[in-house]
Amino acid sequence: MKKSKLIASLIFSLGMVVSFQSAAWNESGGEKDDAMKLTPDLENGLEVYEVCSACHYPEGWGTKDGTFPQLAGQHREVLIKQLADIRARNRDNPTMYPFALPESIGDAQALADVVAYIAKLPMNPDNGKGEWAEGTPEFAQGKKLYDDNCVKCHGDHGQGKKEKYYPRIDGQHYKYMLRQFEWIRDGKRRNANPDMVKQIKEFTDKDMKMVINYVSRIPVEKNLLAPSKDWKNPDFD
Amino acid sequence: MRIKLISMLSAVALSAMAAPAYSVDGAAIYKNPAKGGCSACHGKDAKSPIMNTYPKLAGQNEAYLLQQLKDIKSGKRNNGMTAAMKGIMHMVNDEEMAALAKYISGLK
Repeated sequence: MKKSKLIASLIFSLGMVVSFQSAAWNESGGEKDDAMKLTPDLENGLEVYEVCSACHYPEGWGTKDGTFPQLAGQHREVLIKQLADIRARNRDNPTMYPFALPESIGDAQALADVVAYIAKLPMNPDNGKGEWAEGTPEFAQGKKLYDDNCVKCHGDHGQGKKEKYYPRIDGQHYKYMLRQFEWIRDGKRRNANPDMVKQIKEFTDKDMKMVINYVSRIPVEKNLLAPSKDWKNPDFD
Repeated sequence: MRIKLISMLSAVALSAMAAPAYSVDGAAIYKNPAKGGCSACHGKDAKSPIMNTYPKLAGQNEAYLLQQLKDIKSGKRNNGMTAAMKGIMHMVNDEEMAALAKYISGLK
C-alpha cells in the first residue's frame, strides 16, 4: 500500500515535469499501446465503470449541459488515449484527474476492461444541441464549415476514425464540444492534434458555434442509440 | 367572489413558486451527476474521499460547508483543491447548496 502510494506520487511528480513541456498529441509506446493489445473483461469493466458512473451516469450519457461528456459509444482507442493523457497530465482536467489514476481505475488491463464496457453502451438519443435548427442560415453555414474543415478526420457524419484515435463527435453534447473546441483552438487543451489546431485557427467564435451546432444535430446511426431517452442501464439495477 | 378566487389561486401559485425549499433533497443532490456528483469525489458516505488531499465532509458544520460552497462557486476561495470543484459549481444554486450543507452536516 505504502509502496503503491509512493509510486503514484512519483508518477504524479513526473507528470508535473512533463506537463511544462509542450504536450504530445499521440506518441506511441507506453500504457495506451499496452491496453489496446489486451483482451477486455467486460465484467470487470462494469465494476471499474461504477466509479465513472458517479459523474457520467450509469448510461454513460453525461449531462446535457455539457459539464460531463457522453462516453457511451465512443471508440475504445479514443477512450484509452484520453484516459492515459489525463492520467499522464497531458490533458488538464482537475475534476477528472483522480479518477484516471491507477489507484482508482487500475492497471492497463483494467483500462482495457472499462473502455470496452463504455464503448458498447448504447448512446443518448437526446444529446444537448445548439440553438440553430435545420433550415436556418447558421445551420447551413455550420454544415459548410464542417464539410470544408472536419470531414477528412471526423468523417461525413462525425463518426471519427478509431484507428487514428479521432473521436466520434456525433451525438456529443453541444456545450461540451464548444468548450473543447475553444480550448483546442486557443491552445489550452494540450493533447490536441496539431493538425486540428492549425485547421481551426482562423475560426471566429461565431464560426465555432455554427460548426458545433451542426455537429450536435447530426443524426446518430440508429443501431448505436438506446431505444429511448428514458433507457436505464440494466447492469445497474 | 371571482376576484377572491383568482387572488387565492394566484397566492397558492406564488407560494409554490417562491418556497420550494421542502422539495430540495440534499441527499439526492449529493449523488446526482447533474448537480455535480459530490459523492464521486467525497465518497458515498461523505467521509471516504477519492484522494487523501480531499476533505472528509460528514458532520462538518453546516454554516461552514455552505460558506465554502458559496466561496468556491464565486471564485472567492481559490486555494487548495478548488480547481477540481470549480468546473461543476454552476450546477447548483443557492437553495441547493443550502440543502447540501444541511444534509452533509447531518451525516455521522
